[in-house]
Amino acid sequence: MRIKRPAFQLAALAAVGATVLAACGTATTTSNNVSPNGSFGKLPAQTGTPHAGTITWAFAPGTAPTWILPVTPGANSSVYTAYQFQAESWRPLNWFPDGAAQKEDPSMSLADDPVWSNGDKTVSITLKPWKWSDGTEITAKDAEFWIDLVKAAVAENPANYGNYSPGVGIPDQITSMTAVGQTLTLNLNAAVNPTWFWEDSLAGVIPLPAQSWAKASATGPILDFTNPANATAIYNYLSSQAKDLSTYATNPLWQVVDGPYKITQFNDTTDAFTMVPNKAYSGPHASPESNLQGVPFTSETAEWNAVKAGSIDVGFVPFQDIPQVKSVEKNYNVFGYPGFSFNYVAYNFKDTTGDFNNIINQLYIRQAIAHLEDEQGYIHAFFYGAAGQAYGPVPAIPPSPYTPANATNDPYPFSVSDAVSILKAHGWTVTPGGTDVCSKPGTGSSDCGAGIPAGTKLAWNLIYSSSPNVIGEQVEDLVSQAKKAGIEITLKADNFNHMLSTYYDSANPSGIDLWAMEDFGGFSIATYPTTNEIFNTNGTFNIGEYSNSEVNALIHASVTSSNPAAVKSEASYITTQQPSLFQPVVDNIFVWKTGISGPPAAFESLTQYQFNPEFMYFTK
Amino acid sequence: MTGYLIRRIGASIVVVIGVSIFVFLLLHIIYPSPAIDVLGPRSTPVAIKAWNKAHGFDRPWIVQYWSYIVGVLHGNLGYSYKLNQSVAALFNERWARSAYLSGISLVLAILIAFPVGIYQAVRRNTLGDNIVTSLAFVTYAMPVFFLALILIQVFALSLPIFSFEASQSTNVLYVMGDWHAMTLPVATLTLISVASYSRFMRSTAIDTLAQDYIKAARAKGLPEKLVLWRHLVRNACLPMVTLIGLSIPFLLAGNLITESVFNYQGLGFLFYTSLTSVDYPVLLAYTLVGAILTVVGNLVADIALTVADPRIRLA
Repeated sequence: MRIKRPAFQLAALAAVGATVLAACGTATTTSNNVSPNGSFGKLPAQTGTPHAGTITWAFAPGTAPTWILPVTPGANSSVYTAYQFQAESWRPLNWFPDGAAQKEDPSMSLADDPVWSNGDKTVSITLKPWKWSDGTEITAKDAEFWIDLVKAAVAENPANYGNYSPGVGIPDQITSMTAVGQTLTLNLNAAVNPTWFWEDSLAGVIPLPAQSWAKASATGPILDFTNPANATAIYNYLSSQAKDLSTYATNPLWQVVDGPYKITQFNDTTDAFTMVPNKAYSGPHASPESNLQGVPFTSETAEWNAVKAGSIDVGFVPFQDIPQVKSVEKNYNVFGYPGFSFNYVAYNFKDTTGDFNNIINQLYIRQAIAHLEDEQGYIHAFFYGAAGQAYGPVPAIPPSPYTPANATNDPYPFSVSDAVSILKAHGWTVTPGGTDVCSKPGTGSSDCGAGIPAGTKLAWNLIYSSSPNVIGEQVEDLVSQAKKAGIEITLKADNFNHMLSTYYDSANPSGIDLWAMEDFGGFSIATYPTTNEIFNTNGTFNIGEYSNSEVNALIHASVTSSNPAAVKSEASYITTQQPSLFQPVVDNIFVWKTGISGPPAAFESLTQYQFNPEFMYFTK
Repeated sequence: MTGYLIRRIGASIVVVIGVSIFVFLLLHIIYPSPAIDVLGPRSTPVAIKAWNKAHGFDRPWIVQYWSYIVGVLHGNLGYSYKLNQSVAALFNERWARSAYLSGISLVLAILIAFPVGIYQAVRRNTLGDNIVTSLAFVTYAMPVFFLALILIQVFALSLPIFSFEASQSTNVLYVMGDWHAMTLPVATLTLISVASYSRFMRSTAIDTLAQDYIKAARAKGLPEKLVLWRHLVRNACLPMVTLIGLSIPFLLAGNLITESVFNYQGLGFLFYTSLTSVDYPVLLAYTLVGAILTVVGNLVADIALTVADPRIRLA
């Protein structure tokens, strides 16, 4: 799971800017760009004869890379650094997703699919005979090298590896491993769900060039990295080199790659970079291959100006500039699709203020609130039509093998009257425009529920992130609809960072009674969408301390059973249970020059935080 | 003079220490540890604890403050968690770019605003004065980003005369020569400053024109040009010296919006990104440098005033 930080850091500024430009330029609606399947614009077919050039690629504010070693500390960890910078040079064992589809693209994978044995406690994975840029063959030792480096990194400080989950996945579940030739074999401490372990952990192993990196100094000998002391020394050396941004383009370490590109320039002030094709890249790519230039921007306004001026080859459409898309369609192709993610308003199941913990513990209350959310209306009114619906932890789109049936049909469609009926049927005196009161306490099927005394009011607070604006727009509408059903929700806008420190931090239990509902955004999710960390009773990111034994059992099956469809059952049940209020997911909209083409999947994958310029080419 | 300087410098040091304690405390009250903001919400308690220990956030704030001050006195402003560079390096890469953008805008603004203000005062309530006043009000009331966007739309996108973004070079000498890229950001800042400075200049010039020594000079039959040049301009400029002195901190840090809109990596933008990511060391260093520049600006302005106006004596 990856949190979606409100990336639009200058949202307010840019939003007003968009208003200005709407007045200056061609303000058009986007209705003809919106597709019923949730996509935006269109994906043109591959065309033309490939020509090489330099593809300029816009980085959104705050997403420029700051760490090159593919063992990334928590402070520098982001999908952008991982998939749009490091992955150009160092590829993982298996490549997910395939375009926008949440499945593997075997042609881009360094290894074949894993083979399981020993009751799902042993896994073997065989690497393809691809080569490093120095001509050396990539072997299982290189994958083992990465795992040993990660072990050394987290042993020194768990924050040294941003994706580290104590006790879960790699490296903690590995009891032993062998690397022979092209085959890496891992023995695990317990049986695991093979699909989960593969997609969540194993596929993310990034072989590194042990033949040139396994050393503790620039001139030192190549060390046996399986010795933990050596691994620590090697990690310390490599991370010290990664801290020197000024040498990214000149340090010989970073020139040994297995991905399609190697770095040639890096500006440590702006984080702009240039890469050239790795001539020894063994994977699929356009021929001839173009150079790549990453261009960071200080604001979305600046990026959009660059698009309007036609100075960037591949860029993004800032959310607030969606209405302006028509003005660039002459020079650019436009396509958008939701990333595989979900947004949600968390409930605080421990907030005792006004007995909220007992109120929200009632499924019928959560169902009533879900009925008050008008996702279709939000998408039309607040997202310019460019978003996909999400009723549970797996959104309706993009397509995934694990999408349950109730993820595509709203189980609790917008209806204030339905919400009112539910409340009345459970012993509440409903006062539209006022505040509902429990008039029938008790635990019967028509009573308010356990722990809710007579006279309890349906009134609580909702803290939300003030940026991006669309969060506020959605919760304001929710409050308005809730009021019609007699639920009084008090809104409080807050700063994202302050929310994390005050209302989110599991290490700060004193904040537990400060909030009832909280909307900070959401998470982008792995292709295997278990909510182990979010809705499991002991989940690291279970901020509202939701606890449901059935959910725990389903999550357990997703992680440990041999059933590949277990996670689908988990998602389906959570969608029914509504442990949080799920919200629409905005389209990630990209533009690329009409003179650039390639396989549609290469452009589709942009919406999933991937960038595969090796497939893109100039048509003239 | 020497005694005055010693007293002022002493007071300035107290102010800077006070500001540093205040900011340090404020940050620690709002964010006792930036760990979760730095590592992200998915960070585990184990990682947070380890990170806090590694960066000293598990110690009492006074101990942390003392370590910080000792580091600063040894030239160590800290290390940016997010940007993976030392704060000194981050400042070193950016200060000249920010200083150039602000400095050239300030100089141009002064060169334009002074004569405009004097002209308006002398031709008070004429058509010319009213037109300039109207333009100044419009520009002054306009948010910086609004003006920047209009200039970009008109002069970079509709009429492609200038670049839509500032120079991307990190060589400040190259930036200085890149008029095609720097004209619009400089014009944005200059226009905003001219609007305020010219209004201020007009006001002080009108006050000065009402002084007895102006009347006396005119009564003595001194040519109007000399009255204006010798008596009006010099005296009317005195309050502007203070204003310009107070502008010194903005030389390094006042251009957040302009830098954002024009894609210009400077100190103002660095501060903003650090603020959004709770990058403690950068925030502290930035505030400290800002405080130092403010007191230095004040001191320079006071000294400049004594040079410009012999009636003022430093005691």
